[in-house]
Amino acid sequence: MGWESRQRGGLYYTRSRKENGRVVREYVGSGVLGRIAALEDEHERRRREEQAAYWREEQQDHDALQGAVEELSEASDFLVRAALLASGYRQHNRGEWRLRREPKKGQ
Amino acid sequence: MSPRKANSATKHEESTSELIEDRGKLMALIDRAQDGDEEALPLLRKVLDEEPRVARIVDLARNVERSIIEKMTGDDVFTQEAIPRNLKAMRREIAGEKPAPLERLLAERITVCWLELQYFHAIYTQNLHNLSITQSDYHQRRIDKAHRRYLSSIKALAQIRKMGPAVQINIAEKQINTSG
Repeated sequence: MGWESRQRGGLYYTRSRKENGRVVREYVGSGVLGRIAALEDEHERRRREEQAAYWREEQQDHDALQGAVEELSEASDFLVRAALLASGYRQHNRGEWRLRREPKKGQ
Repeated sequence: MSPRKANSATKHEESTSELIEDRGKLMALIDRAQDGDEEALPLLRKVLDEEPRVARIVDLARNVERSIIEKMTGDDVFTQEAIPRNLKAMRREIAGEKPAPLERLLAERITVCWLELQYFHAIYTQNLHNLSITQSDYHQRRIDKAHRRYLSSIKALAQIRKMGPAVQINIAEKQINTSG
C-alpha cells in the first residue's frame, strides 16, 4: 500500500492484496481520490493495531488471573494431600486414597 | 539402620521453618510420607500446624475473587456489591454447618473457580460475533481449563468429606479470616 511516483510526474495511490495466494496490486488513483483512499487505509491499519493491542492486553490479564487461580488450586491441593497423609491415608497408584494399614504386632 | 531410616533421621533435623520456606522440601516430605516413611508424618503434622502459607491461601482466594469481580463489573457499583453477597451465600452452602478449616478453605477455592469459569464464559459470549477462529479457540481453551479446575476443586472437597472427621488438621485456624 502506498504512493507510487509516475514517470510522467505526479503520485498514484496503490493497494496490494492477496488473491488465491498471489499478490494483486490495485491502482486506486491520484489526487483527491488517492488521498481519500490513503486516509481510509491508514484508519483501517490503526484500527487493526488498536484491536491487536487490546487483544494482547486482554490475554495478559487473563493469563495473570488464570495464574492466580492455578496457584490457589495448587496450594490447596498440596494442603489436602498433606492433611490426608498426616491423617494416615495413602494414595494408591496416584488414584484413590486409602487408610494405611497398621503393621501387625510382632512383625 | 536401613537407608530409608538413615535418610529420615538426617532430614528430621531440618527445622520446620526451613521446610516452610522451601516448597521443594515440603513436596519431598510429602513424597516421603506417601512412600510410607513413618518418620515423615510428625514433621508433616508440625508443618501443617505452623504453615503460615495456609492463611495466605485464603487471602489469595479473596484477592483473586476481588480482581475477577472488578473485571466483571467495571464501574457498575451495584453488581460490585451484589456478587460478593452471592458468593458468601454460596461459600456457606458449600462449606455446610460447622466446617473444618480445610473444608472452609476448599469452599473458598470452589467459589473462586466457579467465578473464574463464569467470567471466561461471559467474555466469550459477549465477543462471540467479533472473534476470529483463532480467538474463539483461545477462549474455548481457557474455558476448558477453568472448567477442569472447577471440577477438581469439587473433587478435593468431596475427597476430604469422604474421609470423614479423621482428616481434621489444625491449619493455623487463628490466622484464617474466613468471615464474609
